[in-house]
Amino acid sequence: MISSDLPAYRAWADTPLTERPKYSVVIPAYNESERILPTIGAIAVHMSSLGEPWELIVADDGSTDETVELLQGLGLANLKVLVAQQNGGKGSAVRRGMFAAEGDVLLFADADQSTPIEQFADLLSAIESGHDVAIGSRAAEGAEVTNKSLVRKIFSKGLNLLVRYGFGVPFADTQCGFKMFTAEAAEMLFTHQIVDQFSFDLEILYLAQNRFDLTVAEVPVEWIDAPGSTVDATKVAVEFLRDMAHIKWNDLRGRYASANHEWPKPASSTAALAS
Amino acid sequence: MRLVTEAPTTEQPALVLDGRFDAFETEKFRAACDELLAHGANSLSVDLSDVIFIDSSGLAELVRAMKHCRQSGGELVIVSPSDPVRVIFELTRLDAAFTIQDASVQAS
Repeated sequence: MISSDLPAYRAWADTPLTERPKYSVVIPAYNESERILPTIGAIAVHMSSLGEPWELIVADDGSTDETVELLQGLGLANLKVLVAQQNGGKGSAVRRGMFAAEGDVLLFADADQSTPIEQFADLLSAIESGHDVAIGSRAAEGAEVTNKSLVRKIFSKGLNLLVRYGFGVPFADTQCGFKMFTAEAAEMLFTHQIVDQFSFDLEILYLAQNRFDLTVAEVPVEWIDAPGSTVDATKVAVEFLRDMAHIKWNDLRGRYASANHEWPKPASSTAALAS
Repeated sequence: MRLVTEAPTTEQPALVLDGRFDAFETEKFRAACDELLAHGANSLSVDLSDVIFIDSSGLAELVRAMKHCRQSGGELVIVSPSDPVRVIFELTRLDAAFTIQDASVQAS
């Protein structure tokens, strides 16, 4: 017996959209050949079951393994694979994905499915209730975190205290790889983004709070630590502290006063959202 | 992930899994398989109807168990994989490597 979600998935997999997608899911990927296919399978089945037109975008970040070849060989009609010739950082990959996305609502999700795609609805509720940005949070009340080591918990808590009280970004978790934007908010934020590395999330939230006065909902999510992370925690922490200083410095120098990247889409693509 | 062993003393016992089958769960699965195979089973049914996600570690563990069964002249049968798991098998082309059956076929 074929269960109910498979026909919707088959249609999405086989037939190119003839209308603008309502949702875009962006996955940044760097050397993810081991993990990307299960993640795509889980996301594709769940998103197709929602009954709305949607697209999947994988923004390669200069992978040196077979990530790109694997993705290009899938033949999924509504999967875009953005190929980068060199590694530019997670922030640059997410930005390229956002720039290529055509949906009304844009989600970026990590390639390891550590925040299960089933949490999509919770963030979407926040967007539909009027927020410009909804961020998955592993630290908000109600979040369920599994397999996160004690060292990593302490590490995250320490960095978060710095972010909250030293940086003025009042969220319990700025780094969860599961964030949703209206297309208008994505245009504002990602055209002004400068940080291309891991802490681009922090810059995005800083801009949302301090530059554009966007409304941000912090949504508790289920999060399962994924073994085989390609992230080096110590290196990331040093970069994170350095980037916090850079972001403040960039702001003081007025570097966020105008866009740093051109939004590569016609204005009408976001104007339609206001209606 | 929850793992329940059914009919452990038969020729083809069943392992029923639910939740997320990832690298954190492979040890539990391997131990259950090895125990059944060590006690005379040469075939296994693995019910994945309530597994919501399987990662490459989980897939590798199933391949390992399948090889053990085949070396003993038996088979590992995947039973009623959930939609996402079925699609993950397809995308990784492992649907061609495994015997996949619906529970209704198994029961008949």
